[in-house]
Amino acid sequence: MNLGTRGALTFRLGDYNFAVRVEEAGGVLDADRLAQLPGVTEPIAGVAAFRGEMVPVVDLAQYLGIESDAPHRYALVLYRGADRFALLVPEIPRLIPGRDLREAPPEAPDPELSDLFESTLETDQDHYHCLNYWQIFESIIPQTASAARDARARRTG
Amino acid sequence: MKGLRTEDDIEQGGSSPPPAVLVTLLAVVLAGVIAVFASGVMVWVGVGALALGAAYFASRNATPKKGSGDVAKARRLLLLLDRGGVADCKVPADFTNEWATVYERVNKASLDMRTGSSALVELEKLRKQIELAVSILDKDKDPLLEARELRSSPLEPLLSYTQDSAATPGSGGQVVSKLTLGEEEELIGSGSDKLPDDWPKPAGGPSSSQDAPARPGTRGAMGSGSGVGAGIGSGGAEMESGLRELMREIEALRTTLAGGASESPRQNEDPAIRTPAQLVDAVVLTAADGIEDLAAGLMRANELASVAERVTNRATLLALNAALEATRSGSEAFAAIAEETRRLAEFAREATDTISRLSSEIEYKVGETITAIHATSEDAKNSLAELSGTAVPVPHAARSARVQVVRLLERCRELLSSLGAPQMPLMPGLEARPGSATKPSKGANSTQDNVENDSPPADKLPLEGILLIEGLKPGANLES
Repeated sequence: MNLGTRGALTFRLGDYNFAVRVEEAGGVLDADRLAQLPGVTEPIAGVAAFRGEMVPVVDLAQYLGIESDAPHRYALVLYRGADRFALLVPEIPRLIPGRDLREAPPEAPDPELSDLFESTLETDQDHYHCLNYWQIFESIIPQTASAARDARARRTG
Repeated sequence: MKGLRTEDDIEQGGSSPPPAVLVTLLAVVLAGVIAVFASGVMVWVGVGALALGAAYFASRNATPKKGSGDVAKARRLLLLLDRGGVADCKVPADFTNEWATVYERVNKASLDMRTGSSALVELEKLRKQIELAVSILDKDKDPLLEARELRSSPLEPLLSYTQDSAATPGSGGQVVSKLTLGEEEELIGSGSDKLPDDWPKPAGGPSSSQDAPARPGTRGAMGSGSGVGAGIGSGGAEMESGLRELMREIEALRTTLAGGASESPRQNEDPAIRTPAQLVDAVVLTAADGIEDLAAGLMRANELASVAERVTNRATLLALNAALEATRSGSEAFAAIAEETRRLAEFAREATDTISRLSSEIEYKVGETITAIHATSEDAKNSLAELSGTAVPVPHAARSARVQVVRLLERCRELLSSLGAPQMPLMPGLEARPGSATKPSKGANSTQDNVENDSPPADKLPLEGILLIEGLKPGANLES
């Protein structure tokens, strides 16, 4: 079964397992010390430097309303064209090769997350929820001119 | 009426003899009155004679009669007690019956008080005798001949035997030529002459110079002596040095005994000798210091482990990012490098986890050990206090003095052994103690052992305390 991905980075947040396809992932960095931005809303934990660029970091657990006692120390960077942002995760994500993943029947972890839910991947042991993370990004970060242009191009194209 | 004498008073006054002063005064006044009426020299002489006669008569009547003698005897007893008794007691003739018994007892008590058999007096006496012997030896003379009191002293066997050793036959010289024996007698002879029968002999030693074997080290045996001083010679020098050492020991002992009562035991203690409680404290302090150093090192190790963990996390992130890039690019070479990086990160992770786990375990055990040591220290102190309470307390000064006395005896024996003399009791009071007498057959160590065995059991406790602490160290088998 072709998943359309070479693999996925998985992490656990609360009682849920989440996955990010490697095609969307730019990398993982240490987020012990994030630069705080003045006047930003709460889901944004700060900004971090990733390969010479400033990346906003979103606290996914806080955004989704998931209680997580573990401190969020790592940032999983996602990129799409010129846009980049990072998800604050409590542990170092685990890379699962595409050969070990299977597409599972869509199953939203929570009705409130149904808008963000995209697909479900599974291995022999666990299920992983893939979310539309860019929807989170767009709902928080104002689109830049280039991003808006790219978005228009995608819609028209 | 007041101020008037009654008949009883008059009768009492008439019955008592008139005072001598009053009679003399009345006689002088009467003589003066007579002289006024009949002036002339002869009359004045008669008046004077009459006055003197009256005064003599009055004094005879006024002198109290001598007592019955009991008061005088009591005064003599007090004088005897004050002056000290004599060895050969002769009861005066006027002391009869019970008075004779009392006189003998008072004499004996005062003699005991004067001669005093305490250790301090004996030691002082011995010290003076040794000092005298040394001073005589300095003049190359024989102490036994120069000082009569040395013949009855504990040093007599030693001095006598040295004299005998010096007067060995075959010396070729005149060992005894003309010696002053006391104040009245003189001894004239030569090396081959036998000593008189009343010559002081060493206890158990050779009875004459003929029996004494020639010993190396004595000038007499070397044949170069020509007189008493030369005869005593090197043997005397050896003995002199030994006696000097002996005298120093006795001085130290005397100081110890004299100052032991006024000074506290702590002040007399040798700093190297500690009580069991102090030893326990020392052990605990040493252990605590070592554990504190260990804890400080452990904290430093924890800091380094924290740094290692951060490095490991960085390596893990590097491996993950490399694997992510390799997955995205699909390059097998990149994937291989990423895999090696991941393995390296895993290895570092395992090592860091092991270090952290060991550090935590050591930190926990150190804390437990510190607590156990403090608790055990208190238990050991309590146990030592209980055990010490059951022991018979022995004053520290007395123990120290006894040890010094025993060492002194050993030195004397060694000195005698070097001179070839048999065993002699230098200080009989110290060896004649029943139950603790030193057996000569056991050798020199027996006396020391005897004294050490007399020490209270608390002296043996430090080792037990140390073993107790040792047994409570981490990893120790407590059951054993």
